[in-house]
Amino acid sequence: MAEGFGQGMECEDQERNSKMSAVVIVHGGAWAIPSKLAKDCIDGVKAAACAGLSVLKRGGSALDAVETAVRTMEDNTVFNAGHGATLNADGEVELDAIIMDGRMLDSGAVSCVKNIANPVSLARAVMEKTAHTMLTGRGATLFADSIGMCTVPTDILVTEYERKEWEKHKKCITGVMEDFNSQCANDSVGAVALDYAGNVACATSTGGIRNKMAGRVGDSSIVGCGGYADNLSGAVSCTGHGESILKVTLARLILSHMERGKSVADASQLSLQYMRDQVRGTGGAIVVAPSGQWAATFTTERMAWAAVENNVLWYGLEPNEKLKEQLPQ
Amino acid sequence: MLPVVVVHGGAGIVPRERSEKSTSGVCSAARAAYAILQGGGSSMDAVVEAVIQLEKNPTFNAGCGSVLNAKGDVEMDALVMDGKTLSSGAVSAVRYIANPIQLARLVMEETSHACLTAEGANQFAQAMGVPEIPQESLITEYSRMRWIKNLAPGANPVESQMGKMGTVGAVAVDSEGNISCATSTGGMLNKMEGRVGDTSCIGSGGYADNNLGAVSTTGAGEAIMKVTLARLILFHMERGQSVEAASDLGLAYMKSRVGGLGGVVTVDPQGHWAARFSSLQMVWAAAQKDTLHYGLYTGEHFTQSIDDQH
Repeated sequence: MAEGFGQGMECEDQERNSKMSAVVIVHGGAWAIPSKLAKDCIDGVKAAACAGLSVLKRGGSALDAVETAVRTMEDNTVFNAGHGATLNADGEVELDAIIMDGRMLDSGAVSCVKNIANPVSLARAVMEKTAHTMLTGRGATLFADSIGMCTVPTDILVTEYERKEWEKHKKCITGVMEDFNSQCANDSVGAVALDYAGNVACATSTGGIRNKMAGRVGDSSIVGCGGYADNLSGAVSCTGHGESILKVTLARLILSHMERGKSVADASQLSLQYMRDQVRGTGGAIVVAPSGQWAATFTTERMAWAAVENNVLWYGLEPNEKLKEQLPQ
Repeated sequence: MLPVVVVHGGAGIVPRERSEKSTSGVCSAARAAYAILQGGGSSMDAVVEAVIQLEKNPTFNAGCGSVLNAKGDVEMDALVMDGKTLSSGAVSAVRYIANPIQLARLVMEETSHACLTAEGANQFAQAMGVPEIPQESLITEYSRMRWIKNLAPGANPVESQMGKMGTVGAVAVDSEGNISCATSTGGMLNKMEGRVGDTSCIGSGGYADNNLGAVSTTGAGEAIMKVTLARLILFHMERGQSVEAASDLGLAYMKSRVGGLGGVVTVDPQGHWAARFSSLQMVWAAAQKDTLHYGLYTGEHFTQSIDDQH
């Protein structure tokens, strides 16, 4: 089990109270990331975390920051979300995303959308422009049309790499669980943030599991599973084997441990351990508490993650890896 | 104390002329589920049977009798969960099938996934040999009348939604101590096409865990999702609260934090049960120790022998 401990954890609470700091943590998926993709994944999460922080520095909210960070990764073809998404059993793209605002517990989600480059922004529009929380399939696309959000041809979202991988794996008859635990699978992207006003937010976006059945909805778009944000307890974005995350409502489980006084790192570890022991599922989570404490934890071989606070960039890929870079002021 | 089953037929305001049908509907669903449990059937068989009965009953907003979306179509959501393995199955925005709860169970048992949505769910139904039925057979005169009424300028579907929520659900513990939940709905009146509410979302519309208990929820779907109501109530039980206190705490929190009303049925592994709601009414029934319990208004709790068909 690996953990990334935030600098904030060593800070005195008093110091923190006197000067509220902002933090953005992102992940690019927890799985057996092949070494040939490692550098691109690390570069991608670092860029996304920095993009999120610059939103906060310009006075944006935690909600703005997580949306921007996730959009950055949706636009990056190395990640399984937006551009670069995996293909389902029919060779089609179907995307899921959620965003949640910790202030009033408002959330927006889309599942099974096909022609949208940035599902996280459509999820935000569901939250802000409808009386609903989640739209699925054709209904979600019709909504995108009605608010003038550009739709894109599916081909634009599919990389040559994914098309080849899909062809390769189409031939092997493996269940999703086996597939997931091999080198074959990709995963989701996500972000959590705490802004200078003390608000938290989360966002998660994914192309799902390669070769999934048409219409499969995983954990990413389900509130309490793929993510949850509450100003009173913190924000979480999850990644890993979706069906396992659903079984234990992972995001909500982590926050319930924090509500009972556990640290962000302990709460994440306990919950991921529980998921592994109870339902034999592996995954990862990024968490931020209202105090600014944060953690990036996973039970998979690798998870690409990055965090920025106080002009320091933290990142890692391997278990127990935590590298530091000073950002220019 | 075991076995036990508790069912609900939705929280909200049940119009007077429909209250009797609602009550008799949940009572016969509870009886049917209890018969399965007494015959040695599993809690999963029992909750699915209860919900199938309510889906077939046009009085409730699930299966036949579902509310219509803005376009006048029926799109249904359903969820089952098995507390022994924490496996769940769900369908959302599914059309043209009589019993979404059965399809949700098939998703759980026959696929490696936990949720199928929209056309994908219908393709799966076809592959499983679930008969496709004409939409007309799911639509009642009452649901069409309410749809038309809410198309009128100035109509407020959200407001009139409170008139008849009618989501249905059940929780049960069988003689072996296995716990299950099931929830099914036509969703929200005049909803946008593709809208998914709390019902099919694990932790919101329902949750079951042999170690903790089970909850099936009903009410303002968007509010239920904000607080992941089913999971929230079970967190309270994990911390030592009774089924009743945990249910009330969850509902009170939903009301104070996000201003939402609703109702729940809850069981724990010992067979303690509760049917609680913050809305004006919730139609519910429970069967335990050969006794049928039922009620509609706050504080109402009638009992009779399970064999008494009155």
